[in-house]
Amino acid sequence: MVGKRKRETSVVPRSTKMKDASPPPADNAQEIFRKYFEAQFEPIENGVSQRALEETDSRDEETGDNDDDNSEQLGSDEEGLSGESDEDNVVEVVEHEDVSLGANDLMDKKARKAFMSAKPPPSANEKTKATTKSKKKDDSDDDTHDAVNLKNDLDLQRLLRESHLLDSASELAPTGKNRLKALDLRMQSLGAKESLYKQKNMPDAFRQGIKAKAASRDEKRRREAKENGIILEKPVKVAKSDNKRRERGVGGSSIGKFSGGTLNLSKEDLQSMQSSRGRGSRGGRGGRGGRGGRGGRGGRGGRGGRGGDTTRARH
Amino acid sequence: MSRARVYCPQNGDDIPAPLRFTSHHNLVYRLVLSTLTGRTVHISQIRSSSPTNPGLAPHEISFLRLLEAVTNGSQMEISYTGTILVYKPGLITGSAAGVGASGGVIQHELPSNCNRGLSYYLIPLCLLAPFSKAPLKVLFTGPGVITSSTPTGDMSVDSVRTAILPLYNQFGMFNNVELRILRRSNPGPNGRGGGGEVQFTFGHQIRLPKTLHWMNPGRIKRVRGVAYSVGVSGSNNARMIESARGILNPLSPDTYIFSDVSSAPLVPAPDKNNPNAKKKIGLGFGLSLVAESSTGCLFSADVASPPSGGEAPEDIGKKCAFQLLETISKGGCVPPAAVTTMLTLMTMGSEDVGRLQVGREVIADPNMIQLARDLAKFGAPGWGIRDAAGENEDGDVIISVVGRGIGNVGRKVA
Repeated sequence: MVGKRKRETSVVPRSTKMKDASPPPADNAQEIFRKYFEAQFEPIENGVSQRALEETDSRDEETGDNDDDNSEQLGSDEEGLSGESDEDNVVEVVEHEDVSLGANDLMDKKARKAFMSAKPPPSANEKTKATTKSKKKDDSDDDTHDAVNLKNDLDLQRLLRESHLLDSASELAPTGKNRLKALDLRMQSLGAKESLYKQKNMPDAFRQGIKAKAASRDEKRRREAKENGIILEKPVKVAKSDNKRRERGVGGSSIGKFSGGTLNLSKEDLQSMQSSRGRGSRGGRGGRGGRGGRGGRGGRGGRGGRGGDTTRARH
Repeated sequence: MSRARVYCPQNGDDIPAPLRFTSHHNLVYRLVLSTLTGRTVHISQIRSSSPTNPGLAPHEISFLRLLEAVTNGSQMEISYTGTILVYKPGLITGSAAGVGASGGVIQHELPSNCNRGLSYYLIPLCLLAPFSKAPLKVLFTGPGVITSSTPTGDMSVDSVRTAILPLYNQFGMFNNVELRILRRSNPGPNGRGGGGEVQFTFGHQIRLPKTLHWMNPGRIKRVRGVAYSVGVSGSNNARMIESARGILNPLSPDTYIFSDVSSAPLVPAPDKNNPNAKKKIGLGFGLSLVAESSTGCLFSADVASPPSGGEAPEDIGKKCAFQLLETISKGGCVPPAAVTTMLTLMTMGSEDVGRLQVGREVIADPNMIQLARDLAKFGAPGWGIRDAAGENEDGDVIISVVGRGIGNVGRKVA
């Protein structure tokens, strides 16, 4: 009799599980919660757990009705609840396979980035060390953090700007020729007129060729970087050399073109001279004395918006 | 072919006799050791008993080409049948400008009849890279690049990146080491060919690797992995991940497997009508798992769908998880796949005794014994082996390796 009953009880919960899969895990979950709660606080009074057990019993009965031999099932229920629940635990099969994915998507993304990059993934130990360090810094001072960030930012921008010089060298601080080049680049970015190493005189075709090649090379570099997903420094906008006055040497004449020992004045130069006179008189300053020739501003004005004026004067 | 034909312009008389080896077993590591130690090797009877395919196989020839590309001044002679190879190593230059590298990158093409995974080339190349003169950048392209694991027993490129490259950290090499998978590919039909593209950068050259003492395997802390499918549905990834996590999650809660879906690579397949025709190659999927212990030991497992197909992703995931568990169960600080790398680097280290704990099954491997014999032949002192003592013995053994102190010849005058 005992053996038979055991067989029966071992069958019944299984059938409930097959017919209605959701309630037993829910019960189980409640049980787990209860245990957890009791471990944390004080034991819950018996009534609650008793009720839960009764619920399971009634469910057992229902399923037992479906089976043919329900009388025995009822008998077993009357016999004792404790034995029944013990055997329930024995039979309960929990599949660990359905793990809920996507619970922590955010962490997933970060971890994915760290793991799936081209670099070998950072070790778990390293990571914890790094985070603790940064946390400490955060606690100590925000300003220092900002300063460090700023410095790093500057370093990064510098590195990006000068990275094409570091093609062969491995270290970040350039040496030798590369150092001089990097210095030159920095000077230019700070406002130096032109490179220290720029060759002054050169056939025009050469210069054009060099310019074109440099432009195409830069374009190619940027394109390849973009294709490979590498972030480059922002392109420096080259100011179009508009019709501003050319820079002349200290001793040079401010107007015309000096070549072969003669000063050649073009028609425009003459116009500009005339217009400057006109302007000077209109302005009423009267200061176009001995040094009137140096009227750089006047010259510019003549070439620019005063065109109509001069043409009228010519007519 | 006789020894007299190995011509040496510097001192024709003084060259030490070449080391003689037979058979194609361990060929790659013999060539690597030869390059690192500077000894000439003479390898004969390479598949001489095979009536159909005697001599060097395509992947071995390709590896020789790679060696030639990363070194300067190496000479190799291969007999007509390909059964005898004489290799006189040169200096490891890496991708220095002007010697075969364009734009600082050596481009290496693998032939379409190659049936080995890319790790067959990558792992030995990693061994050479720290001792090169300039940073090493190699771009693997061509119709033979298989990035997944293969039926020939090579691990996937992901496992190389996640389980082999971090080991160099232990020897003090961590800067600028990159393995960028530009295009994935599984093995093509009959396990031959693929259309992947991988760029390998090793920019941390050193004089001597650090002496290593690694005798605490620790306990498994986390499991990471990459599931990849090439040219097939991404749901295969989800299915592999599902079944692998089903096994691993109860054992290690910190288990994440990332999914990577990519389209099939195209390789040129010119025919009469269309000389520009291309075909898809290398479809399939696979899983690479890496377990990391609390002391930084890495154990990897790799399973990919067979080229003939017919295996469900669930089975692949399950197999891979079990393979990972098996690898971990062998014990020690290094898995069998990484032990060659570790011991070779330790041998190349400074003249000091380094120690490494490995599992009994790992050291009982025939490849391992072959490596020990080869190292001895190249003049390395023998290993000291004793049983591990203390709290983390687990039947492991500790190998003591004396470094040779050769290190990087190219960096000697620096």
